[in-house]
Amino acid sequence: MAADPPRGPGELPPVLVLRQATVAYERDPVVEGVDGEVAAGQSVALIGPNGAGKSTLIKAVLGLVPLTGGTIQVLGRPPQAARRQVAYVPQADTLDAEFPVSAMQVVLMGRYPRVGWVRRPGAADHQAAGRALAQVGLAERASARFGILSGGQRQRVLLARAIAQEPKLLLLDEPFNGVDALSQDLLLTALGRLRADGAAVVMATHDLGLAHLACDEVCLLNRHQIGFGPIGTTLTPELLRATYGGQALQLRGDGVIVARP
Amino acid sequence: MRDWLVQPFTVPYMQRALLEVLLLGALAGAVGVFVVLRRLAFVGDALTHTVFPGVVIAHLLGQSLLLGALAFGVLTALLLTGLGAHRRVGDDAALAILLTSFFSLGVVLISRTRSFTADLTVFLFGRVLAIDQTDLLQTLAVATVVAIALVALRKELVLRAFDPEGAAAMGYRTGALDLALNLLIALVVVAAVEAVGTILVIALIVVPAAAARLLADRVATMTTLACLLGAAGGWLGLAASYRVSVDHGIRLAAGATIVGVLVGLFLLAAAVAPLRRRLLTADTR
Repeated sequence: MAADPPRGPGELPPVLVLRQATVAYERDPVVEGVDGEVAAGQSVALIGPNGAGKSTLIKAVLGLVPLTGGTIQVLGRPPQAARRQVAYVPQADTLDAEFPVSAMQVVLMGRYPRVGWVRRPGAADHQAAGRALAQVGLAERASARFGILSGGQRQRVLLARAIAQEPKLLLLDEPFNGVDALSQDLLLTALGRLRADGAAVVMATHDLGLAHLACDEVCLLNRHQIGFGPIGTTLTPELLRATYGGQALQLRGDGVIVARP
Repeated sequence: MRDWLVQPFTVPYMQRALLEVLLLGALAGAVGVFVVLRRLAFVGDALTHTVFPGVVIAHLLGQSLLLGALAFGVLTALLLTGLGAHRRVGDDAALAILLTSFFSLGVVLISRTRSFTADLTVFLFGRVLAIDQTDLLQTLAVATVVAIALVALRKELVLRAFDPEGAAAMGYRTGALDLALNLLIALVVVAAVEAVGTILVIALIVVPAAAARLLADRVATMTTLACLLGAAGGWLGLAASYRVSVDHGIRLAAGATIVGVLVGLFLLAAAVAPLRRRLLTADTR
């Protein structure tokens, strides 16, 4: 295992460290060789085609899927030990839109681990949830049923749920899919605020433009890692072509278009 | 009105039957909320088939039917949770084999008795009018245990029902939560089997909660409504079967009448639901 580079005085240890992380299902590697670090306040885009292993990698960082090789450390501990400091934001349309629960109740769910068993959320939890909803611009829709909100609004509610957890590491799965422009702006602002407060962010996304807006690093994946580094130097046409294979088209000059993956 | 709703219950056996169905209706309604939200009707259905041999064996041994059903109910809950955790092709087939083999074991055992057809009818359709003090106390005990468990685990059960991935990401062991719920469903099925029989138990669990689902935007409201509808179905069904049997000489089985009333309430809810929706959206912007 490579030694971690020496740190300057006052430099915080990284929030997330991946060293040759590999996940396999029944001997078939799903994603392998993921190697990199994410520091507090940094944001990494996971980019790659469908089936590249982005969701699997996120599950591995959450400790929901075991590694078959390499290591993952969250705040210096194995993923299962760090869950209280990690928040996950799924895609809003994976959730049942008919479920009888309000936006506020969904955000309160983020406080449940803190509240513990049997007890109900208290005044402090309600305040934290209210603040989180306000941060994503949905304070007036707190009592609306989750399912009647638009896709973008539901995604914002799920981000508010994560904010209410007060995480050090935030993992998002395609947070901008099918989201309207206003919601997109609000999501970006809220994410920026989380980073300013010291959280590290990892987001799987198809949207290269949004990756540029929201992230300073990128991890290119296609079942194995093709690149991990600052977005300016890593999100290059050739590495994109290597990531997307035949789905990337070279434009005249340096431009690359990725066909809908 | 009084003739219908109050007068039948002046006799002790009807009073006991009423208490039993009020308790069971509320209990089944509360658990039914989670069965409906998580689409677990197949679990309830499986249980009604698999507790049958337990009831038969207990009857043949002269032991408490509740305990016999409970033993098989717990076993089934464990098996179902285990199966659910390992999603593989052929799960449906495995489940079907489990249900039918357990059930036929029960039929084989009971067919060896003299009172075969009478006993079978009781097990399949219940005998709420023959409920005695012991049965009532047993139902009360089960209701208390299930109510305490539901109140204690409510928020985690709702989270797991709404967002299983999110629940796991937060560190909750969804397998343990699923087992807890399956055990609670098993308890309710076991408690209700004696009163309404194995065929009709599933209706008691699913129908009031399904009706409540149409009319509620919150789990808390849905639960209250399901309990009220379950209890109301029990009361009205008993009253109707008594009145029709006594006044018109047409024997209307109590258990089946209760289910008929519940289905009627469901249809009413289905009719009211779109009106309610229109009223609500008119209020909001």
